[in-house]
Amino acid sequence: MSRDRVGALILLVFFVAYGYVSTKITLLPFQLNQAFTARTAPQFLTVAGIVLALFLLVKPGDPRPVDTKGMTFTRIALLCGLMIFYGFTVRFLGFLIATNIFLIGGFWVMGERRLLVMLGASLPVVVGFWLLMTQALDVFVAPWPDFLS
Amino acid sequence: MLEGIWSGVTVAAQPINLLMVMVGCFAGTFIGMLPGLGPISAIALMIPITYGFDPATGLILMAGVYYGAIFGGSTSSILINAPGVAGTVATSFDGYPMAKAGNAGKALAIAAYSSFSGGTIAAIFLLIAAPALARVSLSFQSTDYFALMVLGLTAVAAFAGKGNLIKALLMTILGLMLSTVGTDQAQGVPRFTLGMLDLIDGISFLLLAMATFALSEALMAVLRPKSPEDQKKELEAQKNLGSMKLSKDEVKEMAPVVGRSSVLGFFVGVLPGAGATIASFLAYGIEQRIAGPIKGKLFGKGSIRGLSAPETANNAASSGSFVPLLTLGIPGSGTTAIMLGALLSYGVQPGPRLFIDNPEVFWSVIISMYIGNVILLILNLPLIPYIARVLALPAAVLVPYILFFSLIGVYFVSFNTFDIHLMVIFAVAAVVLRLLDFPMAPMLLGFILGGMMEENLRRALIISNDSWAFMWERPLTASILAIAILILFVPILTPQLGKLKRKADEKAAEGG
Repeated sequence: MSRDRVGALILLVFFVAYGYVSTKITLLPFQLNQAFTARTAPQFLTVAGIVLALFLLVKPGDPRPVDTKGMTFTRIALLCGLMIFYGFTVRFLGFLIATNIFLIGGFWVMGERRLLVMLGASLPVVVGFWLLMTQALDVFVAPWPDFLS
Repeated sequence: MLEGIWSGVTVAAQPINLLMVMVGCFAGTFIGMLPGLGPISAIALMIPITYGFDPATGLILMAGVYYGAIFGGSTSSILINAPGVAGTVATSFDGYPMAKAGNAGKALAIAAYSSFSGGTIAAIFLLIAAPALARVSLSFQSTDYFALMVLGLTAVAAFAGKGNLIKALLMTILGLMLSTVGTDQAQGVPRFTLGMLDLIDGISFLLLAMATFALSEALMAVLRPKSPEDQKKELEAQKNLGSMKLSKDEVKEMAPVVGRSSVLGFFVGVLPGAGATIASFLAYGIEQRIAGPIKGKLFGKGSIRGLSAPETANNAASSGSFVPLLTLGIPGSGTTAIMLGALLSYGVQPGPRLFIDNPEVFWSVIISMYIGNVILLILNLPLIPYIARVLALPAAVLVPYILFFSLIGVYFVSFNTFDIHLMVIFAVAAVVLRLLDFPMAPMLLGFILGGMMEENLRRALIISNDSWAFMWERPLTASILAIAILILFVPILTPQLGKLKRKADEKAAEGG
């Protein structure tokens, strides 16, 4: 399938779902008869989106198929996993520990294996950044886990 | 006006603002030079840092970053044929062959002088055009604003390139849809929050910009790693920059090109949606056409004119794109869209009232453009051999840094870990859409303008007693909407007309 068609199909599914959810927007009784309600713009956008997506699906401009040759999806998946993990740990472990784990993990995923390089590129940057935020810009960032502070 | 200029000079010349222009130019050059990262990412990365600043200082920093990023993009175009920004693609046509011929230093100098001249000349135009347009736009009503925003969105889609019109329109609609998430401002009704309290205030603009630009660009760089050959080429270009001096003849050859391309670039930049990319290609094409048969043949092989024209035009267009932002509050490009988002977060509403309510912001930004151009020339040019070393930073170190700064930039604004997870979802979606060649800038522009469009449309309907007739009854609104429709249909009709003409010519030839 051409890349335009794949894209159009993905967007079409999104637009249909968006349109469905737009029918669930709660309106108060006095708002129902107004010319412009909270549903008006979403429903107009749904119709416009579906029409255009169908048009692209029927008449794709770019006939080339999706080209994923030589692409490293495993790394992307691991990096995304790391980011999600960071989201869960930045509060729980505190900024300093969570960020160092994230950066060192990131270097490792990207192919770096030298521990000294990884620590050297992570520790000073994280500590320096934390000092900049807390001391220079006066933004409080919890450095350690709650049970240590 | 003179009073305004003076107040702008006073604000821009404050030590903190001078420092910000310098930091902005330097950081912008640094980030813009990284392949894949453009001015949108550069500015997005700066926004969290500027939250504590006053609006003038924040905008001055971002203007510096904008110029710097374009200049940085030129450097990577010339040295490694990898434009960090779409606006500098045309620069690589002649800049890279010049660098390959051992004249990388000269190519960088031509790019720097052309950027400086283009930016400075355009800033003079901006000084005249912006206040004039701001005065005129004071008479604009909600209906006109709505029409102008429609024009902005259709223009972005229309200029998206051959065969990309429908894709750009789809992405615009996607952006408009994302802008409807959260509590409806007028009726207080939650929309598309899926029962999540974290979405009740809508999606943060910074989050969307960071996820779809900075994060997804970094992830795209991981998806498409460079070959060892390319890496070797990069190192060679950085080592052998050569002389940066230009001869008298070379300067003479550049001067008229710079003049023409500055004017062209500025006016193209003013058009909503056109921006630096269109300006640079147009300038390149025009110079090639008027160069004559001998000089014209040098285009693509290291022509001075071919390098100077797009470099001048893209910087002039960058200044030009501030005109609709500062005077109408309507961003003309993805980059100015991100600046609009930043201004709104400072509590400053760009538009005709900006000229009256916050003259210090209005004028200091314009004045800082001159300062920024001078700094780019005197600070960045001598430092280029050193800054260029950033190109040698291994991706293994660079990518995790970009991911970290993007995530933390958004997290430090809200301190809500939900934002980090939402960013990952948006970044993955953006990577998929990028792989399918769907443009991101129209989506961002749609997101920024969505809320304002809905608000203005609603207001226009209230004023006209719920009648949609305002679209054709008010001449100004009708004219702007007519232009929007025309712009939208030009890319569709032009190839069809071409086909019809060819058929007619063939028939005439057969008949003859």
